[in-house]
Amino acid sequence: MNQRQMKIGRSLCLCGLSLMLAGCVTATVQQVRQTETAMTADDSIVVMGRRNRPSQGEAELDFINCVSRNMGSGSNSVQVITEQEFMDALFPWFEPRTAPLSTNDLPELLRQPILAERIREIGLKYLVWLEGGTKRTAQGGSLSCTLTPGGGGCFGFLTWENDSSYEASIWDAHTAKTAGRVSSDAAGTSYMPALVVPIPIIARVQSSACVSLAEQLKMFVQNSS
Amino acid sequence: MKLLADTHFNRSPSLNRICFMTCVLLLGACATGTQRLELQGSFPVPLIAKSPVNLGIHLDDTLTTFSHKETVEKKGSWEVSLGPSQRELFANLATGVFQNYRFVDGLAADAPLDGVLKPSIAEVQFALPSQTRSDYYEVWIRYDFMLYDRAGTKVGQWKLPAYGKASKNNYGSKSNGLQAAAMAACRDAMAFFSINFAREPVVQQWIAAGKPLMPPPPAGSDGGTSPTAAPAATPAATPSTGADPQPAATPDPGNIQGSTQGSPT
Repeated sequence: MNQRQMKIGRSLCLCGLSLMLAGCVTATVQQVRQTETAMTADDSIVVMGRRNRPSQGEAELDFINCVSRNMGSGSNSVQVITEQEFMDALFPWFEPRTAPLSTNDLPELLRQPILAERIREIGLKYLVWLEGGTKRTAQGGSLSCTLTPGGGGCFGFLTWENDSSYEASIWDAHTAKTAGRVSSDAAGTSYMPALVVPIPIIARVQSSACVSLAEQLKMFVQNSS
Repeated sequence: MKLLADTHFNRSPSLNRICFMTCVLLLGACATGTQRLELQGSFPVPLIAKSPVNLGIHLDDTLTTFSHKETVEKKGSWEVSLGPSQRELFANLATGVFQNYRFVDGLAADAPLDGVLKPSIAEVQFALPSQTRSDYYEVWIRYDFMLYDRAGTKVGQWKLPAYGKASKNNYGSKSNGLQAAAMAACRDAMAFFSINFAREPVVQQWIAAGKPLMPPPPAGSDGGTSPTAAPAATPAATPSTGADPQPAATPDPGNIQGSTQGSPT
């Protein structure tokens, strides 16, 4: 094995190691229950983002999909309808401009026989509205890379902090009342030291907020919390 | 081995030059060319109580080939092609909203159709997040609807403003963001039309009067409106909930050169 191959091997090892490294994340989940909840095998739930106005608090599509996916899998999983399927099935009543803004608007909506019938067909029991986002709250350090015909490398240290804050409001589609709220906050600092090869140590803040929110929502709607 | 190394070394500069020139040319093409966007995705059928009308729908070439081109200074040019998707949009819309419908070639129609609806796009505008200093790609579309009786006499008309947005956090490129915002604007138009069609004063009065044939317009006029169904120049009543589609932040007009085309491009 020549020196060049050894260098490549070392770089690959470092890359592999960096993939295994992850920054620390602190996640906090809180809930407020307003009514009793329960789900049967025929009941389904939908997780949607609030999009009635352009705002900083619009949850990312990735995050909504992540929460839906996590609620529909693992232990205590529930039957989840995707946001797009739900919006298409109940079009035009849950579009950004027509979606009910509060549970006060629900009874009037559900009084329409055609709509009530469709909701029964899809077995909708709970509607979860998500709001929030993930932001970079702080960053520091510097990193420079050089590339020459003889090779290249990076030197420096970068650090940044991300903060996720999401709130889910759970509406009961049968009683047209708010069942409760669940919030998930997560914060974590990522690092990237570079000594020839940069080694990213990423704090998966959004992912952590998603998993903890989905787990809590599953417990909430099944009344096991 | 030495020969190979030498050969490789000797070829590198020319290869590098070729790669560099290719990259420059590609980047140049990307920077100066107009990016053409087609709407992607399908439109749902509205879930709504059907209005008691059998309407013909006339989509003229101006609508079915409609595209909107806009240049944003230092950002690029985009051409959003809305026309090709209009047939599917109106087919699904009519399936949900009208008792029966059929696409027709002209403004007059035979029984059992009660009349003809002719939609057109009057105005389109879009904004990038950098223009509005927000996180959103935004698209505004203004539709005009003309309602004709069976004989092709105008019953009335109304405008329908629609708005769509797409967060830059969800879409990797400007083209994808604009495409999603345009799609959202079309869905908004469908939603607004579905909910408000039966509430439009023009439609309400015409249906209440038994969908009659209108008196022919006076000679020299361009079709006029009937005495019973006055043109509704104001936007239709907003739904009971939700926001109106006014621009959240108007893009700087100085940075925008827009053109709207209704002919094949």
